[in-house]
Amino acid sequence: MLSIRNLNVKYGQIHALHGISLEVETGRVVAVVGANGAGKTTLMMTLAGLLSPAGGEILFEGTALPKEAYKILGRGICLVPERRRLYANLTVRENLLMGAYLRKDKAGIAADLERMYDLFPIMRERIKQYAGTLSGGEQQMVAIARGLMSRPKLLLLDEPSLGLAPLMVQFMFKTIREINAEGVTVLLAEQNAFQALDMADDAFVLETGRVLVSGSGKELLENPLVRKAYLGVKH
Amino acid sequence: MFTQTLLTGLAIGGIYALMAVGYSLVFSILNFSNFAYGSIIMLGAYIGYYAMVRMGMPIGLAIAVSIVGSGLLCWLNERLAYAPLRKRKASSLFFMISAMGTSIFLENLVYATIGARFYNFPELFAKSNLEFRGISIGVLDVFAMVFSFVAIYGLNLFLQKSRTGIAIRAASYDIEVCSLNGVNIAALIGLVFGLAGALAGISGMFLGMKYIVYPTMGWITNKAYIAAVIGGLGSLPGAVVGGVLLGVLETFVSAYVSSVVRDVFSFSLLVLLLMVMPTGLFGRFLEEKV
Ligand SMILES: Nc1ncnc2c1ncn2[C@@H]1O[C@H](COP(=O)(O)OP(=O)(O)O)[C@@H](O)[C@H]1O
Ligand SMILES: [Mg+2]
Repeated sequence: MLSIRNLNVKYGQIHALHGISLEVETGRVVAVVGANGAGKTTLMMTLAGLLSPAGGEILFEGTALPKEAYKILGRGICLVPERRRLYANLTVRENLLMGAYLRKDKAGIAADLERMYDLFPIMRERIKQYAGTLSGGEQQMVAIARGLMSRPKLLLLDEPSLGLAPLMVQFMFKTIREINAEGVTVLLAEQNAFQALDMADDAFVLETGRVLVSGSGKELLENPLVRKAYLGVKH
Repeated sequence: MFTQTLLTGLAIGGIYALMAVGYSLVFSILNFSNFAYGSIIMLGAYIGYYAMVRMGMPIGLAIAVSIVGSGLLCWLNERLAYAPLRKRKASSLFFMISAMGTSIFLENLVYATIGARFYNFPELFAKSNLEFRGISIGVLDVFAMVFSFVAIYGLNLFLQKSRTGIAIRAASYDIEVCSLNGVNIAALIGLVFGLAGALAGISGMFLGMKYIVYPTMGWITNKAYIAAVIGGLGSLPGAVVGGVLLGVLETFVSAYVSSVVRDVFSFSLLVLLLMVMPTGLFGRFLEEKV
């Protein structure tokens, strides 16, 4: 579905991604794990069109991606950014409606709002609240729901477990699998390597802007290199 | 006397509010004070004057022409002066400098082409009064008051309820995420400038009718700027409250103290308020919860 070939991204002089290549196959959950500063967010922002590559190729369903972020969403790729970034000045419902901005099917949007309230039942009590007043976990739910409202083919999640309590992290990963089961391909960036590898079908380990190893999630969990570098510290 | 002063104050406050809302709209989305706005208002007044006096259009049509004309000019202002800066991700200081340059350019363009002389709208309409239980208020004031509040109410409805309105509020909080949600930001910003320009057309027209039309009449938007800052820059309810408050207070100062100290009063009020409430009455909610 998505193939990235020899992707290079720079911030001025800082070379953040050094020739990354990776594949995301339709229907799978793919994790990109790596320490803070490895380049996960840079990769996600580039895929979503907020950063432009200095070189390399990104093909989605066989064709190159448009340059502008809003057109990329139109192609079916939606990024749920790091730290949620909800519109604090809008209500929860308005945040979700923003997710459906490009859609014209009123009835479909209303039905999807209901689906989101079923997926995250706490959200139903919060629809009229300003998003800025929610707890971290609730904000992450709204952020994911806002992403889903665009009915993406590929959902990009940047650190969905960041700053969440352990129980909430479990719930979030469980939900990501549910979303995937409904047919959405997921590309997930995580520092929380153990749980991300455990739930992902395929995975890539990123280190200072390069792919260190790749394989199935289970394989990487067993990989001594990965165990030493990332799983030494018990989560 | 009191009621009459209040009504006159509300009328001028309505115009201040319109201008302050125009300022705030742009500020809320691009985070800079668009000092070219005064010149757009001035051009709106000229457009209205030409439409009504030179071409003999009825007032309603002249206002419409002024709205459309100023809307287009304000949109063009963004395309030519700010869009290139936006592409380079320039800081708001550069936007402000560019805005001042635009303002100087437009004023001098008017001097060079139309000239420095003052133009008056026909007296008839401006000077006729409505009498009611000993209160006398200008027809123009009533008209300005009603029209300003209807325009602001309509804009508010649009921002609160429509899909595009929600997107404008979203962009005022996080423009990058807004583009992730599929919003064409360049088009949205163009629309915001067009809307601000439309408000400039209305206020320019009423200012021209109430006072006179001349190349530097845009200075009066200093008042709108004060009103917007009093209300909290970027906040639309703040702009409305700030504008009305300033208009009413000023009129009372003119009526009960002296019109000479009026402007001194406005600026003092601003300084005092900012000392007490640095973000204005309705300062923007910017807290990020992680
Ligand atoms: N806006 C930026 N300007 C300059 N350098 C940046 C910027 N954002 C990230 N970087 C650098 O790029 C590298 C990758 O960062 P990032 O993609 O945020 O990593 P991660 O998401 O894996 O923590 C880091 O070295 C970081 O310092
Ligand atoms: Mg990151």
